[in-house]
Amino acid sequence: MLLLQLLINGVQVGALYALIAVGFSLIFGSTRIFHFAHGSTFTIAAYVFYDLLSIAHWHWSLAVLASAAAAVLFGLALNRFVYVPIQKHEGSFFTVFVASFGVGIVVQNLCGMLFGRSFVAVSTPLSRSVEWLPGLYVSPLAGIAIVIALLFFFALQLFLMRTHTGMAMRALSENPELVRAYGLSPRRLSMMVFALGSLLVVPAALLSAAGSGLNPAIGHHVMLISLAATIVGGVGSLRGAACAGLLLGLAENLALAWFEPQWSEAITFIVLFLFILFRPSGFFGRVATS
Amino acid sequence: MNMSKWNKAWTAGIMACALTMSAAPGLARAGDMSIGALFPMSGPNASYGDIFGSGANLAAEHINADQMLGGKLSIQYEDSQALPQQGVIGMNKLVNVEKVPYVLSAFTGVSKAISTIAGRSKTVAVNGGGVGPDLAELGPYFWNIIPLANYEVRAIIPYLINERKLKNFVLVYVDDPLGQAIRKEMESVLPGAGGKLVEALSVPATAQQFSGIAARVRAANPDVIYVASYGSQQSQIVKQFRDNGIKQQFASYTAFSIPEINALPEAAGSLYTSQNIDWNSQDPVTRRFVDDYRKKYNKMPTAYIANYYNAVRMFGLLAQQLIKKGLPVTGENLLKQRTESASFDLVGGKVSFAANGTVTMPMQINEIDGKGGKVVSTSAR
Repeated sequence: MLLLQLLINGVQVGALYALIAVGFSLIFGSTRIFHFAHGSTFTIAAYVFYDLLSIAHWHWSLAVLASAAAAVLFGLALNRFVYVPIQKHEGSFFTVFVASFGVGIVVQNLCGMLFGRSFVAVSTPLSRSVEWLPGLYVSPLAGIAIVIALLFFFALQLFLMRTHTGMAMRALSENPELVRAYGLSPRRLSMMVFALGSLLVVPAALLSAAGSGLNPAIGHHVMLISLAATIVGGVGSLRGAACAGLLLGLAENLALAWFEPQWSEAITFIVLFLFILFRPSGFFGRVATS
Repeated sequence: MNMSKWNKAWTAGIMACALTMSAAPGLARAGDMSIGALFPMSGPNASYGDIFGSGANLAAEHINADQMLGGKLSIQYEDSQALPQQGVIGMNKLVNVEKVPYVLSAFTGVSKAISTIAGRSKTVAVNGGGVGPDLAELGPYFWNIIPLANYEVRAIIPYLINERKLKNFVLVYVDDPLGQAIRKEMESVLPGAGGKLVEALSVPATAQQFSGIAARVRAANPDVIYVASYGSQQSQIVKQFRDNGIKQQFASYTAFSIPEINALPEAAGSLYTSQNIDWNSQDPVTRRFVDDYRKKYNKMPTAYIANYYNAVRMFGLLAQQLIKKGLPVTGENLLKQRTESASFDLVGGKVSFAANGTVTMPMQINEIDGKGGKVVSTSAR
């Protein structure tokens, strides 16, 4: 029963990780910007949701919309006012990364000042588990996380495969010059990528606000998971990032059946190292050729 | 204008600036003193920095209002993030740049990391938040103004076993010096007290997901779960354990005395130890502290706040005595003065130090009720 419980917990955590990782992977794969502040988008979305729902007592649907709007606006503003100017002047990968890292620190401190530095959580009966079988506890939030993750991936796949904008976004990751040659604006497409990537992190942020709770430093953990899942899944592969997110969630939880809990986070990096050593292109990534 | 005229002009300008600065209110004057504080002000434990700082600042305000030191006392804060590495960086700055003789420290890992710098530079470091038992062995320049975890564990175990009839324990502890020390203490105390440690689960300090660990705890089927963590993590553990069907009693140490745990609905009924302070005491130091704290923050203080108030007040008392003797306020003289003094009038009454620089105080057991907590036992030792 312990193994089954850990498996279900792993799928729930993995669904959240997958949602987080796909947003980062979409942005990194399409724009080649190491968007460290993706964790900040998560933090902002979660805190806006918490504040509007638990403090201002808005209806949950309005709080969800406001949270999504905040995440998208933050992603767009960051791209427009931080990444684009840096790329215009210098364009170095490292400079953009440092700027993004700095934004992450600023957002963490701003959230601490605005919302307090203490632990907070959205109180909801959805996070409380019920006993399905003797010794097997599942919360409604687990089902919601899995369904939402599947819906989002299905919708994203449709968007990228069936719409012109989606196809253009995929093309952006392949060859920005060719995109320009077809009369499309890489900058405009980048804005759309940031909007979509930021939106993808919102469900995970809201579910975390209700499930595991929040503190202003939560973005760092989100970023670690995003990075590991992107590498394990294969850079540029959204399907790979989603599978890797799920794999990391499962590995983190199933490891508890055999190892001490202190190893559960290290498992993420053991999986990462194994992929780097034996399959550097990740699940679905392509092998780079010189 | 030739060179000497330039020089004269520069000299006059600098002197004018110096005079202006010395006359300006709020700027450093002779007799002003600074002490340092290494608190987490960012990261998942930042809420502790606010709590500790509120006590330290109130003490500095009282010292300045009473003109205990002649000049103004100020506190230079450095952000330790509750991490040893950041703590060492902050301590180096406080000792080598700010040249403070006295530093407030917090968290077991940070305190252990900075203790060597304190000893080497003869700077007094005073811990009011970390409770790892080995903090009592960090040399003469490291003082503890909080009872350490071994006292807390020894106080709550007999209460849980004898009064609450809870014998089987699961320990969930953060994998750092504090958590390891609490595990060691529980392993040594529980068998003699008639209890049993059925499972000890360590978690990394950065872990945020505990649903899987909750499954392990359920499988162990304990009577009581002792949580040895701090900051946001302990709140996450309690919330996620309750969400995942764990109904057993929670127990912990002073770290549970923070407002975020008290406000957490899932933590209701949890028991924790803290030093025994009678907030209704009529002794003038305690009365002034409680009244002014409530006036300023509109809530009751906690043991942590009293500890850092006491740590700063103790500096004020020691420095005052040194000034009276005409001695400079250095770490070395502060240590000498402390060993010469039998006891100190602090919040909670007269406090004396053991030879290892640690205070011993009676303990109390508190229960979280969502309204600031209630004391359920004061007989614990």
